[in-house]
Amino acid sequence: MNRRNFIKATVVAAAASTVFKPFYIRAQSKKYRFGFSQVTTVEPWRVQFNKDMIKEAGKHPELELIITDGQDKTEKQVADVENLIQQGVDILLVSPKESAGLTGVVLKAIDAKIPVIILDRNVETDKYTQFIGGDNVLIGREAGKYAVELLGGAGSAKGNLVELWGGMGTQPAHDRHDGFMESVGKETGIKSLLQPMDCDWKQQKAYEVMSTALKSFDHIDLVYGHNDPEAYGAYLAAKDAGREKEMKILGIDALPDEGVTWVSKGQLTATFLYATPGAEGVRQGLKIVNGETVEKKITLPTLRIDKTNAEQILKENGLA
Amino acid sequence: MKRVLTSTRNFLLQTKLFWGLAVLYLVGVFSSPINRKGINIFLSPGNQSDVLRQVSNNGIIAVGMTLVILTGGIDLSVGSMMALGSVVCAMLLTQQGWTNASFLAIPVLALVTFFLSAYLVPLIAINAVRGSARPMEKANPSVRWCGIIFGAILAILSVWWTVGQLGTKFGVLGVLVAVPAVGLVFGALNGLFITKGKMQPFIVTLAMMVAILGIARLLGGSNMAVHPVYTGTNATENFDILRALVFQIIPVPGIFFIFAVLVFGFVLKVSTFGRYIYAIGGNEQAARLAGIRVDQLKIAVYAISGMLACTAGVLYTAQYRQGKPDAGAGAELDAIAAVVIGGTNLMGGRGSMIGTLVGVLIFGFLGNILQLRNIDSNTQLVLKGGIILAAVLLQEGQLGVRWKQIRSYFKVIDSGQEAGAKSRQVEEASK
Repeated sequence: MNRRNFIKATVVAAAASTVFKPFYIRAQSKKYRFGFSQVTTVEPWRVQFNKDMIKEAGKHPELELIITDGQDKTEKQVADVENLIQQGVDILLVSPKESAGLTGVVLKAIDAKIPVIILDRNVETDKYTQFIGGDNVLIGREAGKYAVELLGGAGSAKGNLVELWGGMGTQPAHDRHDGFMESVGKETGIKSLLQPMDCDWKQQKAYEVMSTALKSFDHIDLVYGHNDPEAYGAYLAAKDAGREKEMKILGIDALPDEGVTWVSKGQLTATFLYATPGAEGVRQGLKIVNGETVEKKITLPTLRIDKTNAEQILKENGLA
Repeated sequence: MKRVLTSTRNFLLQTKLFWGLAVLYLVGVFSSPINRKGINIFLSPGNQSDVLRQVSNNGIIAVGMTLVILTGGIDLSVGSMMALGSVVCAMLLTQQGWTNASFLAIPVLALVTFFLSAYLVPLIAINAVRGSARPMEKANPSVRWCGIIFGAILAILSVWWTVGQLGTKFGVLGVLVAVPAVGLVFGALNGLFITKGKMQPFIVTLAMMVAILGIARLLGGSNMAVHPVYTGTNATENFDILRALVFQIIPVPGIFFIFAVLVFGFVLKVSTFGRYIYAIGGNEQAARLAGIRVDQLKIAVYAISGMLACTAGVLYTAQYRQGKPDAGAGAELDAIAAVVIGGTNLMGGRGSMIGTLVGVLIFGFLGNILQLRNIDSNTQLVLKGGIILAAVLLQEGQLGVRWKQIRSYFKVIDSGQEAGAKSRQVEEASK
């Protein structure tokens, strides 16, 4: 066989295998197919979301899970959902990029008689089967209660507080603030040192704000970051000033490779879980295909993660 | 016999674009999963309808882009233009009275109405008298004045009509007229900078892309990232028509796309305007010397591109129920890719509208096939890039030459090795 024929044969074989590969992959069919339309796969919380979902789906061998990536574009996500409708999935799970943008296609799925579970962000209709999401006010409230406890207990709490805001134009930041202030605001002994400072959820901005605060105030007892990267930024600033021992630092989100890791290293005092609805979505979907009735709305509980349980959570996620 | 073969070969070469689409379509049919009712999902009418809807926005933008690229230019501002269109459209639909959007749209519409009719009336008059006039030929003063007066009347009428709608928010017809007019003006601005300012289209439209994005954000207000449009609650119900399915199957945005392809394909093929576009793209200097008014034509082409982009913005608002300043991020690149896949030369002067239609469909079907097979989204990006490269390579039309080059390269290696072997034998023999 001369070289030219060999090249030709290789090219033909490669082309043929690309085209015909689908046929034999298709052979293994499972009982249920769930389609999940994710917004993007480059954000840490979204990555964890997908991980949770795949992990839960792995526990149920009768289940086939299809995850699509909207690449952070409304058009792409709408096309993805349309595609899942055409494929005739048994359950459609959608975590919308925007409420308005995804409403139309969700209605289309409902028209096609596919049960729809909306995750994390709602759409402008109530004809879907179920909504699952976290509650930022609830999480803020838990953080607030713990803060009061750390500073001396209800009625006698005392200390200087630095609050680092998430993006001020976003609802979660306001919810996390309002929930926190429900208990902290009642304590006259707790003094909030700063005007609301927008740190835009970013570690770097929190670092800058915190360094300034450290220069202006001699003693800081508690830092409350609206998410873990902000809390970690505050820790780094305090450490650079040599003052990280004097304060307690609280964060929110508790992603295993961010907040939980920092807590286990003793850098943050505690973090509060903003759970991804991934695992719960799969569980609820299975209930629906098995004919059980489900609640219209599920609010995910939060969990305080401190030195006592951080190691265990890291182990569960294969990080320790 | 040989002649038949050559002519078949030529025919195949000329229509290779369509064969590409046909092959892709067949791949789609054969690789598509079958649903539980035993229907091929790719071929199902619902899926074909979805694809047509998904490509229509990109398609409409690509139609304008084809004209621009044929003149040897490029228009990077179309993505921002589409976003601006969607924001203006959403604001006109959902807000009453004088808002930023109506402040922009109403004067612009009056301006466009005036200029278009002041220009078109003399043109029609000359055509009616002489049979075939060049579009840029000057009319005599009386006809000209006729046009200007007619234009002024129409402009006043348009203001009266649109201001009348302010009290009750705009309807579907209002936005379909006003929003493309906004695009037309910004597009013409592109053209003015390029021709009168003698600047590179790439730089001008790049600057406009950034500026228009800013204008769209300013217009929408900084505390509104998204302007939702819910027909029946905050907008008129008749806007639903733009996302309806005709006969339950043909999406209205798709009809807009096909209509745009037909109209501008026809313009390119038969009108003097179309001929001149090819002439400018082929050799601008020669076209200028031949008496073609290159500047006017170029301005017109960029204006059309802007108008189509804003029309796509209206359809975006209809399909996704929202106006959004960053709706069109990356849309310009998708449109350019579709045009180039369709065989239009980026240097200008060579290409066709039907090619663009095929390019847009190839892009759309490819995405659909990959998604139906649930192929990982990052792999999808790689494959899409690969398809663009492969398509452009095919379009080069010199595959035969390239193949010969590759073959001769291998021959050189072969003969080189043989020669080496021989000389070694000779050396050994001499020892």
